[in-house]
Amino acid sequence: MGHLLFTGWNCRECQTFVEKFEGALGKGKGRKLYAYKVMMAKKMIKFNRDFENFKTACIPWERKIKEVESHFGSSVASYFLFLRWMFGLNMVLFGFMFGLVVLPEVLMGLPYGSIPRKVVPRAEQANAMDYSVLLDFGGYCQYSILFYGYYNDARTIGVFKFRLPLSYLLVGVGIFGYSLMVVIRMMARNSNEGGDGGDEGQFTFSFKMFTSWDYLIGNPETADNKFASVTTSFKESIVDEQENQKDENIHLRRFLRVLANFLILCCLGGSGFLIYYVVKQSQDNAKKDQDELTWFQKNEVDVVMSLLGLVCPPLFETIAELEEYHPRVALKWQLGRIFALFLGNLYTFLFALFDEVNEKLEEEKSIKNATMWSLKEYYANYSSYHNTTDVPPLDIAPADVVRGPCWETTVGVEFMKLTVNDIEVTYITILIGDFLRAVIVRFLNYCWCWDLEAGFPSYGEFDISGNVLGLIFNQGMIWMGAFFSPGLVGLNILRLISSMYFQCWAVMATNVPHERVFKASKSNNFYMGLLLLVLFLSLLPVIYIIMTMPPSFDCGPFSGREKMYDVILETLEELPTFIGNIVGYATNPGLILSAVLLMVLAIYYLNVTSKNYENANLELRKKMQMARDEEKNRRNNKETTNQAMQYLEDLLPNRSLIPPPVITEESALSKSSKVAKHPGAAANGKGVNLQKDVSLASPNPRAAVTRPPGPRGPPGHARGPPPGPGRGRGRGAPPPRR
Amino acid sequence: MGSRASTLLREEEIEEIKKETGFSHSQITRLYSRFTSLDKGENGTLSREDFQRIPELAINPLGDRIINAFFPEGLDREDQVNFRGFMRTLAHFRPIEDNEKNKDPTASEPLNSRTNKLLFAFRLYDLDRDDKISRDELLQVLRMMVGVNISDEQLGSIADRTIQEADQNGDNSISFNEFIKVLEKVDVEQKMSIRFLH
Repeated sequence: MGHLLFTGWNCRECQTFVEKFEGALGKGKGRKLYAYKVMMAKKMIKFNRDFENFKTACIPWERKIKEVESHFGSSVASYFLFLRWMFGLNMVLFGFMFGLVVLPEVLMGLPYGSIPRKVVPRAEQANAMDYSVLLDFGGYCQYSILFYGYYNDARTIGVFKFRLPLSYLLVGVGIFGYSLMVVIRMMARNSNEGGDGGDEGQFTFSFKMFTSWDYLIGNPETADNKFASVTTSFKESIVDEQENQKDENIHLRRFLRVLANFLILCCLGGSGFLIYYVVKQSQDNAKKDQDELTWFQKNEVDVVMSLLGLVCPPLFETIAELEEYHPRVALKWQLGRIFALFLGNLYTFLFALFDEVNEKLEEEKSIKNATMWSLKEYYANYSSYHNTTDVPPLDIAPADVVRGPCWETTVGVEFMKLTVNDIEVTYITILIGDFLRAVIVRFLNYCWCWDLEAGFPSYGEFDISGNVLGLIFNQGMIWMGAFFSPGLVGLNILRLISSMYFQCWAVMATNVPHERVFKASKSNNFYMGLLLLVLFLSLLPVIYIIMTMPPSFDCGPFSGREKMYDVILETLEELPTFIGNIVGYATNPGLILSAVLLMVLAIYYLNVTSKNYENANLELRKKMQMARDEEKNRRNNKETTNQAMQYLEDLLPNRSLIPPPVITEESALSKSSKVAKHPGAAANGKGVNLQKDVSLASPNPRAAVTRPPGPRGPPGHARGPPPGPGRGRGRGAPPPRR
Repeated sequence: MGSRASTLLREEEIEEIKKETGFSHSQITRLYSRFTSLDKGENGTLSREDFQRIPELAINPLGDRIINAFFPEGLDREDQVNFRGFMRTLAHFRPIEDNEKNKDPTASEPLNSRTNKLLFAFRLYDLDRDDKISRDELLQVLRMMVGVNISDEQLGSIADRTIQEADQNGDNSISFNEFIKVLEKVDVEQKMSIRFLH
């Protein structure tokens, strides 16, 4: 209306204006349509909001993880977030495997019992249903969709002419491709967010003080959680502050760190040699007669690996105390070292596996020769007996056919057994190491000489590094084994779900928060980096096998072919010729080499530009910080100068009379020297006292942080603690009350 | 209850509240029915006990501070707040709409402007209404937020550190301007707004 009044329209323009917006005014021609549009817009907004709420509610386990986070800090919660992300990844992989490989074979392939590879051999049928055999993944388990050997090699199956062998190969490789893509995308996204930290270093404690409580909380449990998380967040900031203020004796610290690294390298070298020695011994033992060996000699490798896994991590942690890193950095070092240790584990497993595979290949050659020879004999006898050349095929029941040793299924079985073993060991460790320990400490404490809770065993802390590495290595095993055992991914899904519930329960019921609660690094890139490394390590053996090893002659989707990737070549032959030509040109070595060269140059260029951006960013930030400090100093200094100085300052434009900008801390120190005089406290440079040894006020520092806010009185109670002389008034004169 | 509610609230009153706070007609009616449902004594005003009966406020450690904010300063503990006062406090939480910025620039700032929102938050901490947040007031808030899980010495250090970060004129307390400076990067307009359904 104001607009209309001031622009002085004439009558005609007013009329057109009113007609145009008639609908909005609720009268006239366009009313119904406009009202309808408005109603639809409102409904759309409401629908969008509800959908967003629904999407957020669908995120699984969110409340559980928030509970863990509020009691144990963000570093412990980061393990559970990582677990949940892994679950998502595995669901997608399971979808691929199940939908594109297992389901077609089950629905459209031949049923159990029709061909030799799908039947339990006659010799094993007696105990194929035995519980112990099934637990070992033999018997009916072995000849089922769980393993490679069940799948038929017919080029197309069913009504839809689904190409199962091609699908199997593509899914096997596609699993790696998808995982790679997802991991790298996650890393890229994390590194973006990490750069936004910016100036939150400016007002850390003020922010926490004024903005941490969430006034919208209405649920008592949530309030307790929030209470605990506020406490934890303060403790984390205190730890960060302590780290920033530590005394630096550079030379001593450097020497200690070099010493610690040297010791740990010795340990790793020793364990590597021990593993090598034990594996060699077991290989020699395998050639001897099995009955002569003791139990120890038969299981040497397993025993040694378990011992190393139990002894070395605590040893590394003890040595790492020499280094005195920030807890977050120390965690990374610990992860790296245990990773190196576990690599030895992996190496022995793969070594043993390859030995077994080679053995089976030898066996297969002999069986293959024997089978062909007997077939030839059969034909020769038949044609000579009946004097015809039209020989009907051999009619033997599928269970009686002589079968090759099918090494791929054996490999699949090994991976399955390893995963199951891993699950058992993890759960038993948690039950005994955490649960039993907590029960003993809690109940035996009543009749024991010293305080079990504060003293020796006490409650366990959640072992972040061990669990994260376990998760990463487990995923590596899954990646390696998925090609040979399609059922493995399904098993992993079950394992991840049960792990989430079980570990959440165990953490809340049996663990206490770390003594020094530290904030997890903003980006999860360290875990992602390890995962990427493991992904590459598990990609290599599978690709090698696909490219070089010959598939079994009578089991699996690639049976009868020279190499596994021959399926692709066969498919290419069926397509029109020009596609074949294109592929032929594309695989020309010259073309591939130039493409690789181009990519290397692009990577180098992008690397250099990103470094430049980082530098520019840092410079800008420094400039902003300097400007802020100058302003603060100027404001502080203005109060102390008198009139004359002020007048002089205003005259001289270059402000040369102002003392050079002092470091903020020193000027703040002069202002806050009054503040820091706690009796008997050591006042250090920043004027804030944060002694390292001052722990919680409560007598037992290791009690779980579950003390909820004290009971508020009945309605009508006075508001809050009365502002009487609190313990905070340790200074000389209390501030004047107005 | 419905008819009674509308007869007790006259049109002129609704208009006045609308002008003062910016709420729409339907919002005011709905908030009035909430007001009457809280008013157990049925005398047209709310006391502190009425507020404490709300379960969500009762479990909130800082709930007493929120209740405090409804009662204007200067009165003693036996005071009551009428509907006008109730709406005036709630108006601080109305979302800021864009077209409000084009209104008459000479009128006083609306109750839900950024400065007024921050002033509301400031008054939650400044108990004695002296326009400064002193170290003791910070300590009280801290003790409410973390209880006994952190030692008093560390709490004292946190309070000192907070003042050191925020204080610019060196008086060892946080004035309203310094408070504004601390929170200048926080999206107060969005965080301190509640969608009152129209």
